[in-house]
Amino acid sequence: MSVALERPAVQERTGRGIRWQRVGLHVFLAGAAILWLAPVLWTLYTSLRPFSDTAKNGYVSLPGALNFENYSQAWTQADLPHYFLNSLIITLPAVFLTLLFAAAVAFVVARLSFRFNVALLIVFMAANLLPQQVILTPLYRLYLRLPLPEFLSDSGLFYDSFIGLIAINVAFQTGFCTFVLSNYMKTIPASLGDAARVDGAGVLRQFFGIVLPLCRPALAALATLEFTWIYNDFLWAVVLVQSGDKRPITSALANLQGAYFTNFNLLAAGAMLAALPTLIVYALLQRHFISGLTLGASKG
Amino acid sequence: MSGIRLDHVSKRYPNGVVAVDSVELDVADGEFVVLVGPSGCGKTTLLRSVAGLEDITSGTLYIGGEDVTGRPPQQRDIAMVFQDYALYPHMSVRENLGYGLKLRGTPRADRERRVSEVAHTLGLEELLARKPAKLSGGQRQRVAMGRAIIREPKAFLMDEPLSNLDAKLRVSMRAELSRLHERLGVTTLYVTHDQVEAMTLGQRVAVLRDGVLQQVDTPQRLFHKPKNLFVAAFIGSPSMNLVEAELTGRSVRFAGFELPLPRGSVAADRTGKAIVGIRPSALEHGGGAEHELPRIGVVPEVVEELGDETHVIFTIEAPPVSADAVLAATEASDQSEGKLFAGDERAMFTARVDGKRTVTVGDRLELAVDTGALHFFDPATGLALDAGTRTELVA
Repeated sequence: MSVALERPAVQERTGRGIRWQRVGLHVFLAGAAILWLAPVLWTLYTSLRPFSDTAKNGYVSLPGALNFENYSQAWTQADLPHYFLNSLIITLPAVFLTLLFAAAVAFVVARLSFRFNVALLIVFMAANLLPQQVILTPLYRLYLRLPLPEFLSDSGLFYDSFIGLIAINVAFQTGFCTFVLSNYMKTIPASLGDAARVDGAGVLRQFFGIVLPLCRPALAALATLEFTWIYNDFLWAVVLVQSGDKRPITSALANLQGAYFTNFNLLAAGAMLAALPTLIVYALLQRHFISGLTLGASKG
Repeated sequence: MSGIRLDHVSKRYPNGVVAVDSVELDVADGEFVVLVGPSGCGKTTLLRSVAGLEDITSGTLYIGGEDVTGRPPQQRDIAMVFQDYALYPHMSVRENLGYGLKLRGTPRADRERRVSEVAHTLGLEELLARKPAKLSGGQRQRVAMGRAIIREPKAFLMDEPLSNLDAKLRVSMRAELSRLHERLGVTTLYVTHDQVEAMTLGQRVAVLRDGVLQQVDTPQRLFHKPKNLFVAAFIGSPSMNLVEAELTGRSVRFAGFELPLPRGSVAADRTGKAIVGIRPSALEHGGGAEHELPRIGVVPEVVEELGDETHVIFTIEAPPVSADAVLAATEASDQSEGKLFAGDERAMFTARVDGKRTVTVGDRLELAVDTGALHFFDPATGLALDAGTRTELVA
């Protein structure tokens, strides 16, 4: 009898301990999430309020009215469709080329055996460690001297051209992607490459037919990250592009700021609109973030 | 004509390790040859060299009579089955089977016909649309096999293809493999570390140790006429009992026993030290054996009753043979490995007796020794004493 009485007591104690840990964990997680989301939510809230409302009551106040007025104004006043297009013209090829080049280098480093594997990887990594600000001026001067044919750049130079911006983003992002992809490729069993070789696949076939499809989760994750980073780039767009009409959306948001007066509600609406594409890309690619794609290759 | 011939093939790694040392092997057209040896003996390296997945340092490789030494794998017309199957995880079974044909530019209709033929043969029809992750171990194994046979290559190379299956499935797949070879008659080079697999599958078995070929023979001859201590200790399960003995010309003496040698024994008329090998099957329960066979009295320490037969394990009053060859064959780094009790310096013997006889641990038992089936080895060289050669033994 005494045994029967003791047991539940023990269980309850451990049960309570676990429950308190759980509560603590959830409080912490909820707090972190709120902290993380607060700026976005506040921006969203501000963007929905008319300027007159915040001018009268301040930004920290209950809403008088909520509408999409700021959005339609931002869309037309800042010529957002045009800059969206600019951003896509820069970002999509840059992400594609970055991943293609990085995957190719990673394949050579991780899947083929030759003497300079590690050295090559280090070279690519080292370029990534260079702070961008340090080479801002030399790059600016270099871009002013690098010619491009007229049909690729109406300035006739790398400077002030889409190609110039794409090139600089690809150059700066390839190192990181190579590092991630080469580590991922090392996890693909070597016997898959051997099997493909025996089946009759040359190096290109192994790359495009076997290794690249198996890197899909890593490629999807990198594509999302790279899209966000390149799309959000402000520095290079300001430094290397002169004409306002070639700038991406990030620098175009500046058009919503006046010299003497800034409508923050309007700016908030513009920022929310500018952030949409990254969310869409994430939503589209997240289903590819599945781990264990190589499951079933071997004994399992 | 699609045999495989290895002419003094060697593989030396940049760090100086010689994985394969001047191997000469001739696999006839349609023959099933098994490469067997303990782990790290170079058998997989040798197979990969034949496939073209490893470059060889010296020697020449012929497949179907053509010198393929410098050719990449895709130009050797071989198919390989890997230990871990190496199925393409992003492709369905159908695509896995057809991939090799696709790369070789086989027309689509042809490809589909061959895929369904092979799927029918191997019972994979229901699984064609599935990805490898959705298959069981045995099914994956069959797909790997199907991927090899669909190409109708000159030769199959198999790298321990059954080692990832559970014991029961392994036995049935072994039989299936034999049937498959019977049906297709394709030259096969098969690597395993499992000597039972080697003996049951191979028309001939090549025993490899430290990259050096020890003996290439039929399973029967390997078992009954091992050329050296390594082969003797490696082939057979339970393995051969070995002990250092003294030859007197008419008898052999070891561990306090003296057994007369029959006329015509290779050890007859020799004197000096030798290592004597007794297969567990050459020891029979005294009660059931022929009367004229000599007896030894032992005290069983372990009795393993397997139904048909009983393994009786006992110690004899002699140290175990510590020749490198024996240690290598048992994959032990020294004498103490594989032993539970430290300090026992006596050799363990195993006898395989009729399962119907009762044997009790601790009770004295008379074992009859088939002295006509004894093996003798030169303790210095490890080579089997041969009726033809008269080596001088150490006195």
